[in-house]
Amino acid sequence: MIDLEFVINTLSLGSLYALLALGLVLVYGILKLVNFAYGEYVMVGGYALYIAATLLGMPWYVTLVIAVLAAVVVSYLTELVAFRPVRNKSANAQIITSFAVSIFLQNVVLILISSRARAVQLPFFFSKTVTIAGATTPVRNLLIIAVTAVLLVTLSVVMKKTVLGMAMRAASDKFTTTRLMGVPANLVISAAFLISGLLAGVASIFWVSRSASVDPLTGAAPLLIAFIAVVIGGMHSTVGAVVGGFVYGLIFNLLSITLPASMISYRDAFMFVLVVLFLLFRPAGIIKGGYTEERVG
Amino acid sequence: MKRVAAVMALVLMLALVLPGCAEDTGTEGGGTDATSSEDTIIIGSALCQTGIQAPLDEPALRGAQLAVDVLNENGGILGKQVKLVAMDGKSDPVTVGNVAKQLIDNGAAAIIAPSDFDFGGPASQAAQDAGLVGISPCASSPLYGSAALGDKQFTMSMWNTTMGAVTAEYAYNELGYRSVYVITDDFIDYTKSLSKYFIVAFEDLGGEVIFEDTYTQGQADVSAQLARIKALDKQPDFIYVSSYMPDLSLIIRTLRESGVTVPVVGGDSYDDPALFEALGAEYGSDVYFDTHGFMSDEGNPNYTEFAEAYEAKFGDAPDALWILPGYDAVMVLAKAMEEAGSTDGAEMAKAMEETTFDLLTGELDWSDAASGHEPNKAAALVKLTAGKPEFLGWKVPEKLPAP
Repeated sequence: MIDLEFVINTLSLGSLYALLALGLVLVYGILKLVNFAYGEYVMVGGYALYIAATLLGMPWYVTLVIAVLAAVVVSYLTELVAFRPVRNKSANAQIITSFAVSIFLQNVVLILISSRARAVQLPFFFSKTVTIAGATTPVRNLLIIAVTAVLLVTLSVVMKKTVLGMAMRAASDKFTTTRLMGVPANLVISAAFLISGLLAGVASIFWVSRSASVDPLTGAAPLLIAFIAVVIGGMHSTVGAVVGGFVYGLIFNLLSITLPASMISYRDAFMFVLVVLFLLFRPAGIIKGGYTEERVG
Repeated sequence: MKRVAAVMALVLMLALVLPGCAEDTGTEGGGTDATSSEDTIIIGSALCQTGIQAPLDEPALRGAQLAVDVLNENGGILGKQVKLVAMDGKSDPVTVGNVAKQLIDNGAAAIIAPSDFDFGGPASQAAQDAGLVGISPCASSPLYGSAALGDKQFTMSMWNTTMGAVTAEYAYNELGYRSVYVITDDFIDYTKSLSKYFIVAFEDLGGEVIFEDTYTQGQADVSAQLARIKALDKQPDFIYVSSYMPDLSLIIRTLRESGVTVPVVGGDSYDDPALFEALGAEYGSDVYFDTHGFMSDEGNPNYTEFAEAYEAKFGDAPDALWILPGYDAVMVLAKAMEEAGSTDGAEMAKAMEETTFDLLTGELDWSDAASGHEPNKAAALVKLTAGKPEFLGWKVPEKLPAP
């Protein structure tokens, strides 16, 4: 049962989940804000792909760039107009704001485009399949593994070697102290939203390409997945988010092949039980973060 | 910056509040006065304009709006102008019920209920309690009728008994298929009930159901089902997938991408241009389904006329089949009021039982209340080839499974 096909499936699913989880954790780390609008960045990326590729018929490499850019821009804008004004308010105000942003973005596409799903024209190679050593897999499954590897390496270099990266890491540890050292809060937080949007944008391409369609509720599942992965992996650590993503992918696929057909509908229930167990016995997740202060503000 | 934030907050609040407001979709501008029922007939719509039911209901609402315009241009109903008042059911059964009650309080003479038993039922129950006719454009569960909801409740759609049997008979008799693998989306009543009647009809013909698998809308992963199909000793002649968009596209694409090429068969939820495009030339072949109509003159000679009127009102060509049953629902109510000579619920229901309607979605007559208001309707059979739909004709099943 555990063959090459399983390994590729798990790695590609894990990669996608890791990107989603990482995007959520980057903002949480600094703002201590669970951004419930995060799934909508994925949805916006999908719609950008729909507009650029299906409606305007742009070349595929342009459409991919536009999809990622759209998610980045929307992520940044939500920080600017929605989250920044409530940054110094209570945690509840921030969470409500993130729900509001989520509902707002969903309704924007509902009103401007349609409540019905829209088909997304994908780059031609996204629909190709290859057979490696007897395992048949779509090319995009291999692509996501490669893209995630490159993104993770780049991101870890940025976080460790650049001034901005160091400032972000410092901010997620001790935000007040970091500000006292002269690091501008707006810069660090905006950077977190920009990178979060970038990861959501890249993930959106692969998420949407599985069904080749996008609808106003596309963002719900990615948000839930990112949230679960983060709880498993660790809320306070970027490494934890990545580990959580891959562990989620592995457990999900293991359940898929081991659960009998009559039980498959309860796969999510098993995942939630796992989340509850983690919250009970290891609330910090697999990877414990360093010392973290309560919240900005 | 503060000002921009304030403006954005205002826009946001409006976006949150607006979908909950009653939307006056009558043709007279500004006439929001619901008390003028002396010279106006109000039809209330509890269709869901937001949430998971919106993809079905929102196009139906557009169809209903168009039908009201057409009626008013031709003198209205019983010499009175018609006004459609739509309130958002928000894909929440409780809200749907409340909205229907409010519409009735505001003078609605009949209620259009969401296109699903779970979501539409509460609106029909509210209508029944008030002695009014409730009609769902597209609820296909055999529960949608007089037995479960009351003697003034109807659905425009063929029941799942017909929908399941038509494809079962076509697969067995015309295509010569003998074995099937069934994947049922267990998220809503529609998909479960459709699979049930398909299986009854197919086994009754002598076909073999190799396995009854399940899927849940929103799981966004079919690797488990795929692995089971691939592990079969003998591949099925075809796969019956009872699910709906958006995940339906994911299921079929995943099967095809992984080399499962046997035909895929299903019901009216396949009737979606987004699905055709999403499958595209590469994966959109050997897909069969039955639905409520076909969007060309092949399906109905009056289609072009309808499509032109639609485009004149909304600026685009019709984008989903679900516009048609919404249009038809209003036309049925109008004809029933004319036949009954009043807007009385009991009189209308009697007229609906006795009349044969000639509609965009084909001929329709309902059985009487004692036999459940079963809709006697043909199904439009459609085949996809390279992502393009092809009309195979109107089909009536030879034998219907018992509801």
